[in-house]
Amino acid sequence: MIADVLERLRALLFRRRWNRDLDDEVQFHLEQDVAARIRAGADPATARREARLAFGGVDHYKEATRDANGVRALEDTLADTRFALRALRRNPAFAATAVGVLALAIGAAAAVFTVIHAVLIAQLPYPHADQLVRVYQYFGTPFLGTISVVDHEAIRDQQKTMDAFGTARWGVATLTGSGQPEAIPVVRVTSGVFQALGTTPAAGRLIEPGDDPVSAPPVVVVSDAFAMKYLGGKATAVGRSVTLDGKSHTVIGVLPPGVVEIAGMRSVAWPVLQMATPTRRGPFGYRGIGRLKEGVTLDAAVRDLAGISERIYPLWESGFRDKNARLRPYPLRESIVGRSTGQLSLFAGAVVLVLLVAIANVATLVLVRAAARQHELSVRATLGASRPRLARLVVAESLVLTVAAGVVGFVVAALGLKLVGVIAPELPRAREIALNGGTALVAAALAIISGLLVSISPVAAVLGGTILTDSPTDTRRSGGGRRTGLVRGLLVASEFALAVPLLLAAALLANSFLRLQRVPLGYDAESSFEVRLGLPSQRYPDGPAVPAFWRRAIQAALETPGVEAAGLSTAAPPDNQGDVNNFNLVAHPVPPGGNEHVSPWAPATPGYFTALGIPLLDGRMFNAGDTVGDSLTGPPPVALVSRSWAARYFPGEQAIGQQMIEGGCYECPRTIIIGIVGDVKYQGLDGGGDGVYVPLEQANPREATLFVRTRGAPAGFVQPVLQALRRLDPDLPLTGVPLRDQVKNALADPGRWTAVLTAFAAVALALSALGIFGLMSYVVRRQRREIGVRMALGAEPRQVTGMIVARGMRFVLTGTVVGLGLAMLEGRWLSALLYDVTPRDPFTTAAVAVLLLVSALVACLLPGIRAARIRPMEAIVAE
Amino acid sequence: MTDAADLLPGTLELLVLKALSLEPMHGWGIGQRIDQLSGDVFKVQQGSLYPALQRMLRKGSIRAEWRTTEHSRHARYYMLTAKGERQLEAETANWQRTAAAVNGILRVRMAER
Repeated sequence: MIADVLERLRALLFRRRWNRDLDDEVQFHLEQDVAARIRAGADPATARREARLAFGGVDHYKEATRDANGVRALEDTLADTRFALRALRRNPAFAATAVGVLALAIGAAAAVFTVIHAVLIAQLPYPHADQLVRVYQYFGTPFLGTISVVDHEAIRDQQKTMDAFGTARWGVATLTGSGQPEAIPVVRVTSGVFQALGTTPAAGRLIEPGDDPVSAPPVVVVSDAFAMKYLGGKATAVGRSVTLDGKSHTVIGVLPPGVVEIAGMRSVAWPVLQMATPTRRGPFGYRGIGRLKEGVTLDAAVRDLAGISERIYPLWESGFRDKNARLRPYPLRESIVGRSTGQLSLFAGAVVLVLLVAIANVATLVLVRAAARQHELSVRATLGASRPRLARLVVAESLVLTVAAGVVGFVVAALGLKLVGVIAPELPRAREIALNGGTALVAAALAIISGLLVSISPVAAVLGGTILTDSPTDTRRSGGGRRTGLVRGLLVASEFALAVPLLLAAALLANSFLRLQRVPLGYDAESSFEVRLGLPSQRYPDGPAVPAFWRRAIQAALETPGVEAAGLSTAAPPDNQGDVNNFNLVAHPVPPGGNEHVSPWAPATPGYFTALGIPLLDGRMFNAGDTVGDSLTGPPPVALVSRSWAARYFPGEQAIGQQMIEGGCYECPRTIIIGIVGDVKYQGLDGGGDGVYVPLEQANPREATLFVRTRGAPAGFVQPVLQALRRLDPDLPLTGVPLRDQVKNALADPGRWTAVLTAFAAVALALSALGIFGLMSYVVRRQRREIGVRMALGAEPRQVTGMIVARGMRFVLTGTVVGLGLAMLEGRWLSALLYDVTPRDPFTTAAVAVLLLVSALVACLLPGIRAARIRPMEAIVAE
Repeated sequence: MTDAADLLPGTLELLVLKALSLEPMHGWGIGQRIDQLSGDVFKVQQGSLYPALQRMLRKGSIRAEWRTTEHSRHARYYMLTAKGERQLEAETANWQRTAAAVNGILRVRMAER
């Protein structure tokens, strides 16, 4: 074994020396033999002849010895490769085009597959991550909600299928004590969360069961970056305290560097989540995270939690009337990456199509080149090269091209992965995406696969003899064989067939995006800005302090010069619906056992509607009389509803004056609808316009957004308003964001996806057009003489152009028709990503077909016109 | 003159091993020795030794070394390795078993006739 390797290495690395040794050895043998024969009495000439005879064919045995050295195949490959490189160097334009086209496609594919692997396939970065689950409140497909404190306690105490269970709440906290108050993202967690995930701290400890009760001192675990920024590094962080929402928390641990996402929630600090004993089933908003016991199936856990749901339902029935709601576990990974699956698979599909188009394109180039080299190949065949040998040469050439493309493609992928953060900043698990061995493997595999695919047609041409049938002298006259001509045509047709679904997808997304931009927002985003406000319970205890601050904040804003209106709401369009609430209608109650309706539900002040320019369409606005006194002595609670809401629940009826049962509270006074306002998009620009508004004082929220309408563009007025607010409370973190920017942000994501897909489609279109252009140019070049003869016989230039164009367009049309068929298959995939456009939108489909055909027509016309310029006499005489 | 292909497969290697078991030799010497030992029954075409030697080098049953001959000529000498010696023993035994069996069969045939 070792001898074998050494011997092979010797033959390979010291090839020249090895050959010289063999020559020497044979020479020595012959000399010895001649000498022996002379000693035996032969004359020198006879001795030499007999020695050669006794040895046998010298070259034959040398060759046989070389064959026996075990590196022959490798040596031949190297020779082929060297030859291929030489051939390519003679034609740098061809080589650069082919390598460039393929490298881009391979690079894009390798990058996309690296992203998909990291996001969708790779295990989450926790030990035995497949046992992790996220627990939801399931209201029937597709409604999943968060869980409540009651649910948390019930699961914690009653579940039998999990090793650990904890609850987390994602939010924002105000960090004070280090200069300007700052709003930081936090995830409040119970001890079970870290325990379930199996997280280990880099310093200190994590939250433990002893920290969970409300009576325990508040503690916080922070990220490495947080420790670095505020606490002088992880060595000194543990034991110090930070003030979050006005409450001092002791830092007990620091997470390892780079850990900024726990169970899919990005954060910088993880304060303990301490929950007071609940008095009702809500509020919701908590995320349950658990680890299944070894060997427990998800189904078993589903049954376990369903049992708990049934047991706790009667206890809280008065406030939570959804009897069919179930606590339900889902794999954690699914819950983290769920949303991005559709977008990423769209990306993967697009990248595969581009890659196939690129391969077809390069295959055409290679085939055209092989035909152009027919003369050379024929000469080689005549000189004795066997067909398999020539085929190997052709494969080597293709592989040299595609392997080079693979190497360049790997670099492209590396650059592409750096762009992921720019293209898809919202992508979950983005931090786990990195260039790795898999990327290189994908690039290498794609390079080799495309090399083989690209070689198929020229090899078939060589082996099948279509290239070699002509005698070396007569190459100019032939079209390179009927069959290769057909193969080339089919390759070009397939490029179009592949480009159609891509173009259609891009066009549909672009169409959808344009519609999204024109969506009526339902409010005026041009001259308002918003300030998010959160009042910490330390300094603003429940009671009159909270509404008093809200009144003073509105007053302060209104007193600032240039401010026309100001109001508060817990919702913030275009994609923050504030709260949701379930309700029942007195006039149209849901049947027993059915789920109650759910709608965005925003406590708001009257100024909110004026600040945003939301019109009151019917009825009246809230007034001061709506909220005097408490729920027993005061007037009944009131609500405004949006036009869509009214149309949905009271079609053809008067909604004003109707009564609702709010939040499942059948003992509470009925809520009366007093007015109808314009629709506002709260659930994203592609969402509906449903909404219910109640007076802010009715809900008394601690967090709300202040909306300020200014005279003209808001930019100059933000700072004065923030200063006025700071005079009320210097410890609140404040930022003013123009509403226009919020709308822009909401459009950014679909805009980026559209841009990327459009770029892919543009590349596919360009490659296809280039393919048909190259093919027809080649046809014209090859058939110069035939065209000359036609023209000499009286064909008009226009007829000649028409002939060439018709021949090219035949392939294009075939491809386009097949492509439209393929495009029908992608509809189901796309529809989830489209707004207000169906995947088979006839206008878009027609536009794509026209675009494709026009580009192809131009690509065919250019060689067609060149054909018409051929001078018959020159073309015929040139032979 | 018999071509190497006329030998039973693998026989040439066995003969080379046997020749080398006496002393290290260069290619020509091995050829001479086989002729001599076989009483010229096997006349190996000399050239066919070299592919066989190359194969045996890779198997590790022999190794090679450039030495100077008594006439101060540079020549490549081959010698058995430990593995080669074991191989010679095993293949000799194997050969004898085979030969005995074949002889046995041939005798039966003659008796039946």
